Order: sequence, then structure tokens, then C-alpha cells
Amino acid sequence: MASHFINGIGIISPQKTYEPERFLEEVISYDENILNCLTPDFKTFINPIQLRRLSRMLRIGLTASILCQRDAGLSLSDGIITSTGYGFLEETEKFLREIIDRKEQQVSPTFFMQGTYNALSGLVALSLKCTGYNNTYVSKGFAFEHALNDALMQIDDDPGMNFLVGGYDEAAKVQHTTGLREGHYKSKPISSLSLFDSIETGTIQGEGAAFFALSGTASENTWCELIDSQTVYRPDELDLLLAVEKFLQMNNTTVGKVDAVINGMAGDPIRDKVIGSLGNGILGEVPQLRFKHLSGEYCTAICFGLWLGAKIIKTQNIPDAVKVQDSTYPKGISTILIVNQYLGRNYSLILLKNCPARGGS
Amino acid sequence: MSQRVFITGVGIITSIGKNTAENLDSLLNRHHGFGTLELLDTVHKASFPCCEIKLDDAQLKIMAGAEGPGFTRTTLLGLIALKEAVRSAGLSETELKTCGLISATTTGGIREFEKNFYDILNPDQHGVFEQFVDTANPGEHCERMADTLGIRRYVSTVSTACSSSANALMQGAALIKSGKMARVICGGTEALSRFTINGFNALMILDSEHCRPFDQTRKGLNLGEGAAYLVLESESSMVSRAKHPLAILSGYGNANDAFHQTSSSPEGTGAFKAMTAALNSAGISAEAVQYINAHGTATENNDLSEGTGLKRVFGENIPPFSSTKPFTGHTLAAAGSIEAVYSLMAIQKSIVWPSLNFHHTIPELNIVPQTELQTVSEIKNVLSNSFGFGGNTSSLLMTAV
Repeated sequence: MASHFINGIGIISPQKTYEPERFLEEVISYDENILNCLTPDFKTFINPIQLRRLSRMLRIGLTASILCQRDAGLSLSDGIITSTGYGFLEETEKFLREIIDRKEQQVSPTFFMQGTYNALSGLVALSLKCTGYNNTYVSKGFAFEHALNDALMQIDDDPGMNFLVGGYDEAAKVQHTTGLREGHYKSKPISSLSLFDSIETGTIQGEGAAFFALSGTASENTWCELIDSQTVYRPDELDLLLAVEKFLQMNNTTVGKVDAVINGMAGDPIRDKVIGSLGNGILGEVPQLRFKHLSGEYCTAICFGLWLGAKIIKTQNIPDAVKVQDSTYPKGISTILIVNQYLGRNYSLILLKNCPARGGS
Repeated sequence: MSQRVFITGVGIITSIGKNTAENLDSLLNRHHGFGTLELLDTVHKASFPCCEIKLDDAQLKIMAGAEGPGFTRTTLLGLIALKEAVRSAGLSETELKTCGLISATTTGGIREFEKNFYDILNPDQHGVFEQFVDTANPGEHCERMADTLGIRRYVSTVSTACSSSANALMQGAALIKSGKMARVICGGTEALSRFTINGFNALMILDSEHCRPFDQTRKGLNLGEGAAYLVLESESSMVSRAKHPLAILSGYGNANDAFHQTSSSPEGTGAFKAMTAALNSAGISAEAVQYINAHGTATENNDLSEGTGLKRVFGENIPPFSSTKPFTGHTLAAAGSIEAVYSLMAIQKSIVWPSLNFHHTIPELNIVPQTELQTVSEIKNVLSNSFGFGGNTSSLLMTAV
């Protein structure tokens, strides 16, 4: 198996993550259980003619991909792999309303075209003139992990390859309505920053778009090494515990060597139960970090967690906003384990390490 | 060394048959699946012929052996094909647990979502429609199928428009080659919906007559529905189960046309790259291909681009090729896996399937698809193309054992 390096990241989220020099020094609280992206001036990334034609989420996604390429210092990529849970649901909703309200007459194709799940991977390919590998995964809380796995396997085959791997989801109104029906979201408004104090079932809705430049070759821009990633479908507490043990063992490491765990719990007392059991058990001694009070919950929210882990390793700094009160944190951070869950069904593990080429602790 | 990927089971349901045997019989007898829409309620019923499976959801549910609420037509079609594939590969319940499932979709259960849209959006409304509130999610059908069969190890959904299930098969093959998985069931499922009919109608690429791939008079595609899944297996897994392979998934290629959001390049860039990559990954030359199951949607744009791509790969010696979409309609996300099954049947029977409805050669291309069913001495290698919106182009190469 080859090494895999994160050589660039671009991320747009409900926090000001699009400015690379910032690192959650100031965080923004949301009060309606819906967190929307803070966006840069798109005109500095996308030409005005194209900008007019793109939906909000396509603008956000395309800009995240450009931020990533700039950060990686890449003008070419061998492949583009995107992922999403619900895709461009706002466009899908508009198209459905047209069909129903106009009784299937005089329907415009725009929302249909911009609503397809692979619209972003196609758009990024088009803007980069990248005729290489192109794929899109839409497997709920596993979508990004499967995109990542696709890239990792190809890099294992050919370490010279570069991939742009992205995840996006929007806080669509339709999804909020259906999510409330199914108890996925809290019904009473809370302050997002106090998400983990809430005792009501459900979580808060977030959104974001992120791209990661992955390669088998490190560069001077390398953030960290991405050792491995794995998904675990519908485990109970024991299944997840065994999966974590096996995952660490397969990657020649132990719990004792993990400096911090980024925990993707969603502030939902019911659905956090299994992931929470790790903190009380096998990972009890490892300092914990959380992020969904900053990003909100969405199918590809692990992208925020991955950016957070890579940024902590790169900067050797842990922002106060992601710390858990009673944890103490080591000075040097060289190994981070990300454990995520979505709706108590999709669990995933990602292991990050300080890149030897970069030196560090 | 990277492993070979064997196909050890298949399952399929389309408008020309509810299982493998019926589909084969229809192909052999030129029975297409066209008709007037009876089950989908749309104002375009009389305008556009479609290849609809004439079984209602209650009948499908019995066939699928599904119990409880929440099964969309997409899921039911998928389950029927998936269960046939599992039986065909002889996988036990225990073996299924360690299988992966990679399913492809364009719009998940949008058919049920669109039908109940305003009820779903009104929080005060309650009723039987509530079983479908999450069916606009594309991954929902795959998790439900996995849960029904007890598949746990790897549950993944791919969506790259009309090339979706070809990419699902490629990803399954990659997982086996890497040694990460021993068995992965891959394919796609697609139910007709007002969403897709109106989408393609708005793009003005639906033909009001039966589609005519690679014909000068072609005016567009016809939509169809169906599902197909193939069981992919590593050599060691197959040997340990004493199972004989049906064929080898020997090569695959994925590229992007990078030309336009919904149309293909006149140079056939993506088509050329995908086919070339498939041949290269299998380590065979273009001359070794005996049959090509083309994407051949019969849109003006696709056939010209694909035809140009074919000429770039094969020169003046294009092997017999056909599009089976005049049999099944364009089944979108399921097309890649349905046509992979037809390609496999071509290998097994040494038969080149006919392209129906072809009469007039496209002057710019000057290529003629196979129009009659033809038995040949041997089909060793088949190339199967699937292209889609977003510039996605994929090509699979299947080889006789």
C-alpha cells in the first residue's frame, strides 16, 4: 500500500473556513437549527457569465475546488471524485414544483440539469478541462468515505496520481421538513454552540463543500498523511469497538499512539449512544475534539472533521472551539483518529498522521 | 499482483423480461418492451412511448418478497434483480453478510416523492405517504436493499447519470483487485418517473417514435425502467465456494468528456478515452473485441460522438456493434448493468444482438450497426459503453472464461 498525502484543501462551511490564514479563532453561533455557509466573494473565483448560470451550491462547490487547487499549487488533476448525501435538493425541489404546478407543461431543463448529483464533478472537470477519472458517490453518510476510498485505491496502484476528492451537501428546506418528520432534527431551537448540552433527540442541519487534493507523493504544501479510511455499517457498541481496534492494528498503531480523536457526534442523545461508548471505553484516555456544533450535521460533514484534523496537524494548534471541557491536550499532535457517525447508521474511521517530510513534532 | 475479477451470478428485470431467461428469450426473438404508459401517471402518456414493466408495485412487492412499508418501485425492481443475482451465484446468508453492495441510481425513489410532494412538505399532513418521506435521497434504496438481504460489509451508492451502474461495476472490481473485498454485488436500478420524463422532455431529446440508434433519422431516446446486478468475486473466493464463473470482468475505463454539462464532444473525447482505457487495463488490442454493446441512446448528439469515438479506437474495422436500447428503452442508471448482462449473454451464446429500427446510415459516420441477430463462431471479448450527463464516460470489457 502506498502512502497518501493531503496536499491541499479548500473548504466552505458555516464558519469562515474559506480564509486559509484563519483557524476558528472566532466562531459563529446559529439559533434556528439550520447552519448556512459563509461564502467568499464568488466573483474573485468564477467569471461573471458562468456565475450567473450556477446555483448557489454549484458556486460554493466550484469555489471550494478552486481554493483547493490554489492551496495545493495544482493546475492539473488526474481525476475528480465527488460525494453528496442529498445532492442539489434545492434545484430538485424547484424542478418538482415546476412539474406539479405547471402540470408538466413548459418546464425548463435548468433545474433538472443542475439537480443531478454529478453536476459538480462534471463542472469541475469542465473548468479544469480534466478528461481523467470522474465519479460521484451518493451513499448517505458514507458518500465521502467511498469517494476517498476510490482515490486511495487508485493511488495505491499508481502513487504518481493526483485526485481532487470533494464532498458537498446543502441545508435544503425540503430535507429539514422531512428530517423533522423523522426526528432527525431537534424541534426546539437551540444555540448551535451549545449543541452538546441539548437533551432533545435529533441534531441541527448544516451544510458545506470541501475538496481535498490527494496524492501518493508529498509536496511542500502537504498538510498531513492520510493513512487509511474505513466504513462500518450499522454496528452495535461491540461491533464498533472491534472495528476501531482492528482498524488501528491493521495500520500498525495503537490507541496509546493516538494523540486526539475527532468525534463526529451530532448532539443527538439517542444516535450518539454507540459512538459515545468509545469515549467511555477504548478511547477513554484519548483527548476528544468535536465539530458538529460548528458545521451542523449533514451526510458529508466528515469533510469538516477531516479539514479540522489536517489543520491541527499542519498548524500544531488546537482551537478552543473544538475542545471538550474536561480533556487535556498534548503539546505535539502527530496522530489523529476521526470517528464519525451519521444518523446512528453510517460510521466511519479515518487515520491521519504528521507527514515525516514536513518534520514537526 | 492484482487479482482477476470474476462474474459468478447475474439478475435482471426489464420491460422485456422479469428474469435472465425471459430477457434472453426476448432478445432472441426481437421482442421489444415498448408500449403506452399504464402505471405511471403523466400528461405525456400519449406523447412518448416508454418501456414500462407492466407489473404494479403490489405485484413487484410480492415478487421481491419485501415486507413492511417504505419500498419504492426503484427499490423493488432492484431487490428482484438482486435476489436473482444472489441465487444465481449461490450465495448463502452467511456469505451475503461479508459481501459488498454497490448500487447505482439517477434519482432514487423520486417517483414516490413527487407523487406525495405537497403532502410531505406539509407538517400537518399525515398518512400512508409518510413511508416515502426520505425517498428523494439517492442512497436510501441501497441501504434498504442491503438491510433486506443482510448485507453489511460495504454499502455504497453511485450516481453519474446514465453511466452510473457501469461505474458501480468498476468500483466493485477495484475493491476486489485491491484485495479489500472478496465479493461485491454491483448494478443499478431505475423506475420511470415524471421527474425524468419531464427532464428529458425539457431537454428535447425524447423521441415520439421508437428510438433509432445510429440512424440518420434518429430524434432522441425513449425511457425505460429496470434493474440488473452482477456478482463480482475474487478467484480465491470463487474457488473456495467451488463455483464456476460466467465470465471475467477483464477491463474497464472511466473518463470525462469535459465538453459540456449535457452534451458530448463532437470528437468523442470521453468515449475514446474510456474505451481505450478499458482495452489497456485488460491488456488486449482493439482487434481482439468481437462485439460492442454501444451506449447508442439515439440522441443526435450521443450517437455522433460515440460513433466518432468508435472510429478513433477501431479505425475502419469496427467489430459488430449494436445498441439494445430499442429493446429496453434507456434505463438510465440501470443501463450499464443491464447491458453488461446482455453482453455476458452474447458471450455465452456466441450471438451478436441486433440494433432494432436502423435503416439509414449517418453520412458523417458511415458506420452500420448489426441489424440482424447473428450467431458467430466465438465471442471472446465484449466492450460495453455507458455515457452520461456531466461528461461521464465509462466502458467495461467482459471476457469469456
